[in-house]
Amino acid sequence: MARHAPALLAASAVTALASSAGAYPQYQKWIQQNSGRTVSCAMCHENPDGPEGVKAGQLGSLDAEARKRLDRARNAFEPGARVDSPILNEFGDHIISTIGKKRFVALKEHPELLPPLLDGSDLDGDGISDGQELRDGTHPLDPQHGDPRRLLKVNLLRYRFHLGMLAAATILGLYGIRHLLHWFALQVRGALSAGDGRSSTSAKTS
Amino acid sequence: MSPEDTSIGRAVRFLSDRFPVDKLSFAALVGKKEVPVHKMSWAYYLGGLVLFFFGIQLTTGLLLLFYYQPSVSDAHASVDYLTHDVAGGALIRNLHAWSCSAMILTLLVHLLTTFAMKGFAKPREVTWLSGVALLIITFAFGFTGYLLPWHQIAVNATKIGLQSIEQVGQYLPGALATLPTRLREAIQGEPSVGQATLSRFFAIHVVVLPLFTMAVLGLHLLSVQIHGMSQGVDRPADKTERFFPFFVLKDLSLWGVVFFILATIALCVPFESFFSFPLFEPYDPLGSTPDGIKPEWYFYFVYYPLEMLPFWLVNLVMAGAVFVLAAAPRIFRGTGRQTLRTLAAGAAAYLIVMTLFGHRIYAMVKGGH
Repeated sequence: MARHAPALLAASAVTALASSAGAYPQYQKWIQQNSGRTVSCAMCHENPDGPEGVKAGQLGSLDAEARKRLDRARNAFEPGARVDSPILNEFGDHIISTIGKKRFVALKEHPELLPPLLDGSDLDGDGISDGQELRDGTHPLDPQHGDPRRLLKVNLLRYRFHLGMLAAATILGLYGIRHLLHWFALQVRGALSAGDGRSSTSAKTS
Repeated sequence: MSPEDTSIGRAVRFLSDRFPVDKLSFAALVGKKEVPVHKMSWAYYLGGLVLFFFGIQLTTGLLLLFYYQPSVSDAHASVDYLTHDVAGGALIRNLHAWSCSAMILTLLVHLLTTFAMKGFAKPREVTWLSGVALLIITFAFGFTGYLLPWHQIAVNATKIGLQSIEQVGQYLPGALATLPTRLREAIQGEPSVGQATLSRFFAIHVVVLPLFTMAVLGLHLLSVQIHGMSQGVDRPADKTERFFPFFVLKDLSLWGVVFFILATIALCVPFESFFSFPLFEPYDPLGSTPDGIKPEWYFYFVYYPLEMLPFWLVNLVMAGAVFVLAAAPRIFRGTGRQTLRTLAAGAAAYLIVMTLFGHRIYAMVKGGH
């Protein structure tokens, strides 16, 4: 019996963790209602199907070392602790690290209070804060994913030099073509007046 | 019976009318070509615009090929790497996605305006038919390209599309009933959508369809150059302008402006940002299917009716529409442009309503997704 004790302990720990792992659906529900977008567990967890199961990033797949990391993450009750949970992604770790596990659990009845606490960070560097990405239901770790209007606003500013150069190239190209057209029109007009006999009305239309 | 009255003679006459040898010179095809100038002249630029978007598709597609791995284990990861780690990768991918949509939108407008302007009338039947063929090829490009990133929406939407092909069989008589199933198996390559499907879609998307496009596009452009732009309006235009250099240079100006707009959008608004992110998670055959699996927007005109109406009815209407498009030069031979404009406006209204409001209509009819 004693030989099997560690395995039994581990199994019971996994079961206990699994039962509490899906205990915060309030956040997902609120984000979906608020944003109108479908949101999966992949927003905060390693596995898109959530922490329960035996696939990579789920509780059933954790080895002893990963379980230690999980325990440390679960004990990060106060803000500021370094969190490196094997079932959470970088954003999940960031939430616990920023506000602490205690407050995160306390806020589950008022999920709308969570985003303002994360407005100071932007993990994917897309110019939209993590709190805003939560409100919008977009992925806080993917710089290619965000509210289209916000991304447009942010990126217009961010790429203003590139866009300015592109605009300048386009304007210069158009200027050149306009003058080329004018030159061709003059050529045609000259040919017509010289009695070339062409029936084209190109000069007229140009 | 003279030799010209035989079917071979008629075919020869048909071809010589459509491809007159005396017009197959640079001077005739380009130098002397005139473009009518009237209130609908803007529509003459649409074909060139489609060609421009196709050029962008080709260029960006070739660049994407440098990184893309067509295997179920690596496809998603290679697209992810290309998007997030390769310098300029996201821009190239967004250019590819946005120009695809822009190309299909422009192509549809081009088709409707050409129809409204009676651009299919003799001797431009070949131009029209090759254009319809290019439309179908473009939709095939969209369908096959959708699967390649191997994410949730790609695989699940492709499954639905392939199932729809098989469903057609139950409405076909006798031996024909098995044809759609065999077609689906041939495309799919294995019992479920998997590696064989991805390999086939990849081959079709990057080799087969581009070759077809080159051939049909060549025929289309040659035909356009031989016969010139159609009159377009009932009263012949008072003014014309030379195709070269005037029309070509104006075309180039338009391309420049459009490229600026396209590049701005591709740089600032990632195409995938309009969708929920779980749709772009790697496809997991054992995982849950996220909500919101739908085909690309340019298939909404057939997708939403399929969701709301009997399958056979929608397929019958769509088959009828394809037949009408293909046979337009004969069916509408004597129809006036006013009637054609009304028909084109009706078709445009249907496409716009189904594309923009299809999901709302579906929600009203079925009570939501």
